[in-house]
Amino acid sequence: MLGSVYALVGMGLTLVWGVVGIVNIAHGEFVMLGAYFAFWAFSLIHLNPLFSVLLSIPVFFFVGVLIHRQITERLVKQHELSALILTFGMSILIWNLAQFFWTNTYRSVSFLSGSFPLLGLVFSQSKTVSFGLAVLISAALLLFLKYSSWGKAIRATSQNPDVALVCGINTRKMRMITFGMGIGLAGTAGTIISLQWVIFPQMGATYIAKAFAIVVLGGLGNIHGALVGGLIIGVLEGVVTQYVSAKMAQIIPSATILLILLLRPTGLFKK
Amino acid sequence: MSQIGPILRIEEVVKKFGEVPALDHCSFDIERGSITGLIGPNGAGKTTLFNLITGVLQPDTGHVYFKGEDITGKKPHEIARKGVGRTYQIIRVFPGMTLLENLIVVGKGKESRVIERAMELLDLVKLVDKKEDYASELSFGQQKLLSLAQVLMLDAELILLDEPAAGINPTLQNELMTLIHQLNSQGKTFMIVEHDMNVIMSHCGHAIALNYGQKIAEGTCKEIQDNETLLEHYFGK
Amino acid sequence: MNRLIEGGILIWLGLAILVAFLIAIPYFASDYWITLFILVFIFAVYASGWNLFSGLTGYTNFGLAWFIGVSGYVSSLLIADYGFFWLLAWPIGAVFTSIISIGVGHILLRIKGVYFAISMVALTEGTRELFGTKYFAPITHGGLGVPFVAGIQLPTLYWAILALAFCTVIICYKVFSSKYGLRLMTIREDEQGAETLGIHTTREKITAFILSAFLVGLAGSIHFTYQNYIDPSFAFNINLTLTPIVMTLFGGIGTVFGPLIGAILFTFIHEILWAEVTQLYMAVFGAILMGLILFFPQGLLGWMKEKGILPKNRKL
Repeated sequence: MLGSVYALVGMGLTLVWGVVGIVNIAHGEFVMLGAYFAFWAFSLIHLNPLFSVLLSIPVFFFVGVLIHRQITERLVKQHELSALILTFGMSILIWNLAQFFWTNTYRSVSFLSGSFPLLGLVFSQSKTVSFGLAVLISAALLLFLKYSSWGKAIRATSQNPDVALVCGINTRKMRMITFGMGIGLAGTAGTIISLQWVIFPQMGATYIAKAFAIVVLGGLGNIHGALVGGLIIGVLEGVVTQYVSAKMAQIIPSATILLILLLRPTGLFKK
Repeated sequence: MSQIGPILRIEEVVKKFGEVPALDHCSFDIERGSITGLIGPNGAGKTTLFNLITGVLQPDTGHVYFKGEDITGKKPHEIARKGVGRTYQIIRVFPGMTLLENLIVVGKGKESRVIERAMELLDLVKLVDKKEDYASELSFGQQKLLSLAQVLMLDAELILLDEPAAGINPTLQNELMTLIHQLNSQGKTFMIVEHDMNVIMSHCGHAIALNYGQKIAEGTCKEIQDNETLLEHYFGK
Repeated sequence: MNRLIEGGILIWLGLAILVAFLIAIPYFASDYWITLFILVFIFAVYASGWNLFSGLTGYTNFGLAWFIGVSGYVSSLLIADYGFFWLLAWPIGAVFTSIISIGVGHILLRIKGVYFAISMVALTEGTRELFGTKYFAPITHGGLGVPFVAGIQLPTLYWAILALAFCTVIICYKVFSSKYGLRLMTIREDEQGAETLGIHTTREKITAFILSAFLVGLAGSIHFTYQNYIDPSFAFNINLTLTPIVMTLFGGIGTVFGPLIGAILFTFIHEILWAEVTQLYMAVFGAILMGLILFFPQGLLGWMKEKGILPKNRKL
């Protein structure tokens, strides 16, 4: 069920990559920031984490817009390596600051720690709520991209920025919004993750590895693909941890990336 | 390899993209020393044909023979080394390299000989003054000339030109066409894709017309001009 | 072609003095300075090796640590478990890495752009995880790591890496000013266009990949002999990939001496940062990276060439 949260992280990455053309290595750090956001809101002002999830959407959207306006927009027409290095710099800057201010202590949000039986199986409350939230947000995103005018403009920008520009779409603005949405998705995924997993400054690294595997599985810029890809990675991870070992499960992202790039470089699904 | 017979033979070539045939059982010969125009509406398969001849794409079925040798399925660089050169519709010189480097890199053999040849060719296309400039600093038309010089550096016998006259000013266009005739009289064979029928009519001996991936007419320019079916397809009369 | 040499005997004399000075360092400098210079030269080889392939072909190799780790592991295990003499173990590690790189290059260099970069990261991370599992433990000692003593004196190690760095710079100089270098550059400029002009791009990029693997691998072997220790997370650490890239960008990507200058400057900056702001070292490092990309993308040498301080010559 963690797969649905991975899918959120992956969709954010693939959206930004596809539309803005920037591979955001710092994406995982925003997941971490999202998790800390929920943690601090909970422990300092006793904010209900479920409310944090809702609040994190606009907050991280705004953070993303700001970062894109100030920094990443300058990289749009440059060699892809520039963006890789810059966002890598941003990534280590953010986690080191987090480590400095919040220390390496593992933290968690103790909320919804009970469980309930259903159809003869035992379900943990937090996992069920996380799953539900992730599904809800994914559905909202898909509907937004499909039907809203901004969503349509974003898709047009992704397919052909030059044509979109000629058609009167402000591609610059669309890139900004998309970047905001990408960061928003990462942050929100982080708040959801905080409901059931430990939080620490370097947690971004594991999520970015999975997000890359998901993007490669689903095909670059393919939102639906990322959704399915996230679920696949989540299930694979569960199965391998259960039947082989947790150590081997860590190889899944790298192995997936290599296999897919070699066998089906366009991803598993058609656009 | 025989010195008689056509320099290029296209035999029953089929290439599909998904279900759509870009080339459909296309066959023709190109005679040594000719200048052949390749005409047809957009999407008729002209550029695909160039890609198949140069090995950038592989045909689904059919064969391409160059100087009697089957070159189907060979790699682009192998075909280029055999003597087939091409220029692209969108120019593809190496922008971050100087003009001289753009030519030297294509040449084979002794360094001094290669540089000498590169200078001759830059002189021929009248770009010798800019030899130390980066190719990205050239105008569109000049880049086309540089691109042609690269093909000549390759010592290609058969030269495929994809819309050489498009997008450049008339003076440069005339210079380019004069150069083509000059090279043709030295024995180079040309195949030219062009939309401007005037260019085809005044410069090509032969023309081949494609539509929906099929050859619909072939002959001298006069014959093509009088061909009813073609006129219908091409000019919508 | 000989503009540099026309510059006079003075340049050559200066170079000779510099080389003599570098060779003489162990006779008068303290161990601290010797180790610092060892690190400078190790990273100079990493950066130059990376630049040789990625700077010319435009294929961003994000798996430099893979070359380093594989070669480091082979040589370290040979020394630790089989009692090999270091001078024999190092080249075996590098040759082994080069040979596997032939296969890896054939498979992964078909992948273009960012995907190639990601696939190299995946390869490195995957190998790191695998080396730590119990399945590989009989050979690699698993995640515990391998401590060993190679019985090499610090000055000898210094001269070895100095010699390698010197050879690497010479090789880069030769490649960058040759037609082979130009052919590699066409891959960066327009790979398909190069093919239709008769350039065998696959062969060229794989040979450059292997050459890069050999030089970087050799430096990697020396690196771990110097550390007397190897373990998976240390050998395949992402920083071993990124630091050389940053050094190259700092000095000037696609130039002969840029990576060398970058390695020298950056190792000293690293020392200062590490001493002054240990806690926030990575943050400052990250900020420097971002600043480099935003304000100084062409690097020091590229900038000097642009401003006309240095001639626009491929040999620099």
